[in-house]
Amino acid sequence: MKHLTALRPATKIALAVMAALALLPFVSEDYVLSNWRDVMLLALFALSLDLFWGRTGILSFGHATFFGLGAYGMAITTTRFGIDPAWASLAGLGMGVGLATVVAALVGYFMIYGGVRGAYFTIVTLAMTIVAHNVAVGWSSVTGGDSGLIGVAPFQVPGVIFASPVQSFALVLTVLALCLSGALRMMNGRAGLVLAAIRDSEIKAETLGYRTSLILLATFVASAAMAALAGALYATGTGFVAPDMIALLLSTEVIIWVAVGGSGSLIGAVIGTVVVWHLQQKVSSVSIAAWPIAIGSFFILLVLVFPKGLPDFVMTQFRRARPGQGGGK
Amino acid sequence: MADYIPFVLNALTLISILMVVSMGLAIIFGLMNVINLAHGEFITIGAFTLVAVQAAGGSFWLALLVAPAVGYAIGLVLERALIARVYADPLHAILATWGLSLIIQQVLQLVFGAAPQPVTGPFAGSVDLFGASYPAYRLFLIGFSLAVFAATAVVFRKTRFGLDLRASIQSAEMASVMGIDPARINARAFAFGAALAALAGVLLAPLTSVTAYMGVNYLARSFFVVLVGGAGSVGGVAAGSGLIGGLETFLSYQIPATMAQALVLIMAVIILRVRPKGIVPA
Repeated sequence: MKHLTALRPATKIALAVMAALALLPFVSEDYVLSNWRDVMLLALFALSLDLFWGRTGILSFGHATFFGLGAYGMAITTTRFGIDPAWASLAGLGMGVGLATVVAALVGYFMIYGGVRGAYFTIVTLAMTIVAHNVAVGWSSVTGGDSGLIGVAPFQVPGVIFASPVQSFALVLTVLALCLSGALRMMNGRAGLVLAAIRDSEIKAETLGYRTSLILLATFVASAAMAALAGALYATGTGFVAPDMIALLLSTEVIIWVAVGGSGSLIGAVIGTVVVWHLQQKVSSVSIAAWPIAIGSFFILLVLVFPKGLPDFVMTQFRRARPGQGGGK
Repeated sequence: MADYIPFVLNALTLISILMVVSMGLAIIFGLMNVINLAHGEFITIGAFTLVAVQAAGGSFWLALLVAPAVGYAIGLVLERALIARVYADPLHAILATWGLSLIIQQVLQLVFGAAPQPVTGPFAGSVDLFGASYPAYRLFLIGFSLAVFAATAVVFRKTRFGLDLRASIQSAEMASVMGIDPARINARAFAFGAALAALAGVLLAPLTSVTAYMGVNYLARSFFVVLVGGAGSVGGVAAGSGLIGGLETFLSYQIPATMAQALVLIMAVIILRVRPKGIVPA
């Protein structure tokens, strides 16, 4: 592997962010720590979307489905089947991630091999989330309907229960760090290059002998599995699941987290989540209706004012302002 | 025989509504290649127009006239102000129209409140049809929607506007060389689609609970109509609506409604795999 000095900027930033997060337990109270645990799981969720959207250029509006499948898979398995508590969390994790993998593989197969790309893909995944939400609300004998399910136990493996805030924080931080480093390594390597080639011109990549549909499908499934992992752990952290964990608004929010951080950079998704989540707390405390309006306005601004993403916009303004002292925008 | 009448009419109710809603979407998608995620909100706007008209003492019939005008006006303004700027990039169009949809939902909820709005249909009671009793309003809805769809098809086929529209769908460049102003035809087509959705909203309102979020469920369905049927063609919309609406009604007799929706989605995805351009491509 490369020497430390040869690390890419994104990797350096990722290391810095992870180090900062690792210091939190030494300075924060339990309540703050549980909040950060949830934020890190949402960041993992955003990372999963960025893995697919940022690298293939195909936007999925359906990632809340996978997050929700993870959460519901965990909740249903651990609360309903009477499995030995020592193994229940692992079974729930397997169920959640497994469900999301199967759904992503099926939907992804029919769409990607059917030649569905771009906007069509976005629409079908959007409809998938609407349907998944309807099922979560309507199938109340299993999912608990509108009120969801409560009583999801903290995550545990035989011998260890991650019950205290510090323990669950450490668990989530470890998972996030592993996923982030895995994603960065993959995307900085050959796989990332092939995906970039497919994004630029799928026909060219195909002509070069790459099975582009298979590669896209694999990326989609991996991304869905990661989203489900985040969802399953989220359910063990909060102790409940509710239909808004599998709703369109969540699909929308995760797009914003990634867009704010700059899609494609992976660590940007993590930073974007942290920034927007704190912003959301502020805005929502003013008025609950204000947040969806803020999201809507952000989307329109994103398209009209900074189509290349927020970081790019900021950098451009910064560069422009620098040479002429205090020059205009 | 009499056992099947309610089923057929239920299916026709959904199919005819889907035809009116999806027509606007299919035109917009076929013409500008824009996926308008705010399309469902025009249904909601139509329904809330009915609420406002009835609250002001007006009748259902007045709303049926006013709502398309309101939809057309709002559609025209939004197209000029926002949508026209995002045609170049489909992803941007999705994000911008989605943002628009969220804003419209919240504004409607702030103005009218979160509780379902009261609306009254134009007539109650049922009609005996081949030995089966069926609500009169639903029969009216089916007939009226089919008439609106037929009228739209005539506009599409026989008028100058329709000719310009079809020409632009086939080749926007060629049409503009022949003197059709693309900006103008886009704006009018978008507003026309919005007016149709608003009209559908009025028709739907007496049958469902009128909330700021009522459009979302029809958004997904009508997208599948357009995807499965084929974008930009009248025949495609009819075929897609028949398939999606018929299938969903049939399945909801056998299994819970939410499961029926999920199954329809799965089938639509499978059809896309077999016929990526829809059943009746433009």
